[in-house]
Amino acid sequence: MFIIPAIDIINGKCVRLVQGNFSDPTVYSNNPIGVAKNFEKQGAVFLHLVDLDGAKSGFPVNLKTVFAIANSVNIPLQIGGGIRSYDQARRYLENGIEKIILSTVALENPKLLNRLIKNFGNSRITVSIDIKDEKIATRGWLKKDTKTISDIVTILKKARIKSVIVTDTSKDGLLKGPNFVLTKQFINAGFAAIAAGGVASLSDIEELNKLGAFGAIVGKALYEKKIDLKKAQRAVAYRNNLAKRIIPCLDVENGRVVKGTNFKNLRDAGDPVLLGKRYSESGADELVYLDISATRENRQTFRELVSQIAKEINIPFTVGGGVSTTEDIRDLLNAGADKISIGSAAVTNSQLIKEAAQYFGSQCVVISVDAKKQGRSWKIYINGGTKKTKIDAIKFSQQMERLGAGELLVNSLDRDGTKTGFDLELLKGITESVNIPMIASSGAGKKEDFLAAFTKGGCDAALAATLFHYGEISILELKKYLQRNNLTVR
Amino acid sequence: MIAIINYNAGNIASVANALERLGFEYIVTRDPKTILRTDKVIFPGQGRAGAAMSELRKTGIDKIIPQLTKPFLGICLGMQLLAQCSEEDRTKCLGIFPGACRKFPPTLKTPHLGWNKVALKRNSPLTAGIPDGSYFYFVHSYYVDAPTAKQIIGETSYGFDFPSIMQKDNFFAVQFHPEKSGEQGRRLLNNFCGLCL
Repeated sequence: MFIIPAIDIINGKCVRLVQGNFSDPTVYSNNPIGVAKNFEKQGAVFLHLVDLDGAKSGFPVNLKTVFAIANSVNIPLQIGGGIRSYDQARRYLENGIEKIILSTVALENPKLLNRLIKNFGNSRITVSIDIKDEKIATRGWLKKDTKTISDIVTILKKARIKSVIVTDTSKDGLLKGPNFVLTKQFINAGFAAIAAGGVASLSDIEELNKLGAFGAIVGKALYEKKIDLKKAQRAVAYRNNLAKRIIPCLDVENGRVVKGTNFKNLRDAGDPVLLGKRYSESGADELVYLDISATRENRQTFRELVSQIAKEINIPFTVGGGVSTTEDIRDLLNAGADKISIGSAAVTNSQLIKEAAQYFGSQCVVISVDAKKQGRSWKIYINGGTKKTKIDAIKFSQQMERLGAGELLVNSLDRDGTKTGFDLELLKGITESVNIPMIASSGAGKKEDFLAAFTKGGCDAALAATLFHYGEISILELKKYLQRNNLTVR
Repeated sequence: MIAIINYNAGNIASVANALERLGFEYIVTRDPKTILRTDKVIFPGQGRAGAAMSELRKTGIDKIIPQLTKPFLGICLGMQLLAQCSEEDRTKCLGIFPGACRKFPPTLKTPHLGWNKVALKRNSPLTAGIPDGSYFYFVHSYYVDAPTAKQIIGETSYGFDFPSIMQKDNFFAVQFHPEKSGEQGRRLLNNFCGLCL
């Protein structure tokens, strides 16, 4: 999370107001440029400027001071206060200001908002939501509007606004903590939310970070040394050691691994248990066993096999193939499988996914998304890729997430067996539309393909079969390669 | 004899298999008397906090657990249920550890799934011989938000740091699945099963 120091400007001076009260400003410095430089020196990566005179009068007033600050620091700035027209906004955006903050006008003038987004992109427009008693306050907080929070969410979503600053004006300048509930509402609605107003302590900042806030604007607490900028930035720096997973997939028919392997020194290359053990000892993070048997009797053999695997192997494994009822799922889980991969049944009977998530938990529900490109989109295929449906792969993935799926296993039917690399476009399209982990499958031919699946495709795990079975790529070497390329692997 | 509490919260088989591999005797049970008789208790769990707590109340196990003085190990949901309460289904939990269970924010992929490092913060017999920064296997959407560092033995980073191993007296808890965490998981379970308090 970013900690963004605030510089509020009245008449060229750096001030703070309490609850937006213009009549009684505290002057912190006559030299806002010095203040900005000092924040930069302390390690700030972004600054928040407010032209308070501008906010009150409805047009930028302290332009000279703002541009002087922009010219004296090497970190990006956002500026708000009195920006009500296209030309005013453009003047900032074309002269070294990274982002502009729109308040009143964003909600009153959607045409202006659209034009700005069209010409400058939504990454450079932030909308400031100032709430007083659950209603929006505008015009330098002097006026109360009648729009509710959900009205605002609807308007901003429609305009494709991503970034919002959330201020509870009744908390501003009081150092009693920000409005966490309000901030959480905007985070949960999918915005990159920056909390402002009342941020008073390191624990406020840590709490905002846990809520998933994009940033915290801190004013008074920095000026009055209640928060140490460096220490706070360290406390909320993004940390993540979750390793990217490499998963070998074993196809099993009538209790034997098919397609074979050429592992050296393996007594029986067709024994799923021995092979799984060997993989778990040679760096595999998980295993997938797919039952490709067609008959019911063979399914029973598979269940017995699953219970053998569970006894012998101490890393997680997913099983799949022909799973079509909650009883199938229960049997396989009871046999000791950690996760169940569901394919065609998820398409033909989506209720199954809802029930499975409810009864057994999302953590064990993996959806096999079998997709093939058609024009500009991807369509879902069922019955082992033999039957086409009209279902869009990205929409299907979103639906599965809503129903409670815990993970997606994305198979590109176009790439299967080609060794031309994973379908990165498909992977990226899906991962940007859902918020659950994704395993890439089909198409891996070389180490670079795995790297691309993680860095460009946004995957959390990558799966391959024969590539590993025939020893074309060793998992340990692959992991060393990924590590050299700055990915976290186990 | 080690009791594995079975309260319809999934994946008892994996824990039982792991103890089998280690050669410790165990009994899978939901009977309070049996739980009181054994030397150690493992409290595994997957699924939802609300359903799990109501199952524990039904069997009376919720009253037994806080009184236990023998080594006790909560795994995954079993760890979360040892906190005061959980955001999940707004559930009151067993209250062994201070703090509440919270959901990971929507800015992080949820569940937190896969192998992640555990940074060891304090010594504990549970982690004897386990190198700092070892990887363990996690699958969860909620975590224990502990108000003090006192009971935190290990921490894991997923966006921010959360407690992944906790201990208070005879109560041990791990957010990951030692039974699925390869060699280091095996070692941790072996440490627990061999504890003499």
